[in-house]
Amino acid sequence: MESTTLARTGVISNLRALQAVISREWTIFMRYPSWIISLFIWPLIFPMAYLLTARAFSGPDNTGLLQFQAATGQSEYIGFIAIGTMIWMWQNVVLWNVGFALRNEQHRGTLESNWMAPTWRFAFLLGSSVPQLVSMLLMLGVSTLEYTLFFGVRFEGSLWLSLLVILFAIPPIYGLGFTFASLVITAREANAFVFLVRGVVMIFCGITYPIAVLPGWMQAIAAWLPQTYIIRAFRTAALSASSFDAIAPDLLMLALFGAFWLCLGYTIFKWMERRARQTGAIGQY
Amino acid sequence: MSNLRALYAIALKDWKKYWRYPLNAVSTIFQPLIWLAPVFFMGQAFSVNGQAQGFAAYSGTTDFMSFILLGTILTNFINAVFWGMGYALKEDMDDGVLESNWLTPIPRLLILAGHSLTNLLITAITSTIMIIVAALLFGFQVNGDVLAAFVPIIPMMLGLYGFGFAFASLVLVMRDANTLVDMSSFLLQIFTGSSFPVGSLPKWLLPVSLAIPLTYGLDAVRGILLNTPTLFPLGLEIALLVAFMVLMLWLGAWAFNKLERQVRKWGTLGQH
Repeated sequence: MESTTLARTGVISNLRALQAVISREWTIFMRYPSWIISLFIWPLIFPMAYLLTARAFSGPDNTGLLQFQAATGQSEYIGFIAIGTMIWMWQNVVLWNVGFALRNEQHRGTLESNWMAPTWRFAFLLGSSVPQLVSMLLMLGVSTLEYTLFFGVRFEGSLWLSLLVILFAIPPIYGLGFTFASLVITAREANAFVFLVRGVVMIFCGITYPIAVLPGWMQAIAAWLPQTYIIRAFRTAALSASSFDAIAPDLLMLALFGAFWLCLGYTIFKWMERRARQTGAIGQY
Repeated sequence: MSNLRALYAIALKDWKKYWRYPLNAVSTIFQPLIWLAPVFFMGQAFSVNGQAQGFAAYSGTTDFMSFILLGTILTNFINAVFWGMGYALKEDMDDGVLESNWLTPIPRLLILAGHSLTNLLITAITSTIMIIVAALLFGFQVNGDVLAAFVPIIPMMLGLYGFGFAFASLVLVMRDANTLVDMSSFLLQIFTGSSFPVGSLPKWLLPVSLAIPLTYGLDAVRGILLNTPTLFPLGLEIALLVAFMVLMLWLGAWAFNKLERQVRKWGTLGQH
């Protein structure tokens, strides 16, 4: 008689494992409701620092603002900066949450025992991202609403094109998160790596200024960062009445970056998984 | 004498712990520069022929980077004292050593002050390196009397110690205040005018800024070092800072002693 062991895995059992991880992460996520405060407050206060500085740069007679309008082609700076900072916040939170998903399991002391479960191990990482993605989509919605209500930003572009940009932004942003999660598991000073990556995004991707004001070598680096395209495409789609053609080149770049970062994330995860078995160091931090 | 030895021991322990993670130390230097980079390039986008005329109309100087860098350095010191003591207590709680430290026969306010010493020294080192790097990258120039700038800085920092004591007592009671600290420190940075002249704030927000004594500290230091016009006469701003110092030191020590006694009664000192 043929016996069925618990260790035999298939697509269905892997999906069940994924569902279990999602369910666990969701329970943990809902257990600490302070994220609700962050959800409403951060989208308001983070751009505020840059917006008030921009207001000072404009001057009482808007001398500076005219120059900014000439440089960016945008009629108002508030929406321009708000969108840049919103995308930066998204990437920042993904680095902290998805990037630290496995690291946090190490801290809790559950990673090693979970690793021994006869299931698809990538589900641990993928499952951790789902509640995070839901909360981030919520944050994007709340931010848009708050910018309209409190900052008076007029989103005159297309809602559907904006949603399309968000859809294309998910693979590169989360692919980077997966890559990061696998790398920081072996690093003792993981915080410093988050500061480095988010710093690169902050400096090169034009969150508060047009890329054109950067020196040539910095523009060349910006061209290799997906966040540059996300910010530009989202500004075009949300702030001006542009057609699909206006964002199509950026979406194409995002598709390529998305494929690259997801593949890299998965490859590094597999490398880390193999290395963990060889060194037996997965429980250490 | 024994109190001084205790201060030294606390500071030395924090010093060793800090340098145990050298990458974090490097990031302390570069973090403020990373936050400043978007401001620098944004300033370029608003400038006409490299001159930030709009900014000058509010602040009295077109050299916006020196204005903002000074604000950033002072904010670094403010954060070191303001939140440093509370965070250090939280770390002791998490490490499980707070209760045993509390049993040592030294004044508890001294333990708090000891925690801030290393913070201040590290902030001085990292801020100096930051200024050198920033001067090379963005340019930085002060033309006032650096020694005179300490006249407003000293009462401001001492007043902050008072606030730090009060905040530390709150950490003892709440046992976690990270979200609150992150947000309030960010708001404080905004409303004290760390990266812009508060005169440019909308009229309905300006009273918030003027109600925070630290605003006058930043304003006075910039007035002395950059010769920018101050919100009020310099003498009045310094007098306000001295009053703030006396009030906060008294209030902070009172709040700490009261809440610390309460926590001992509850017996929750070792919990986190």
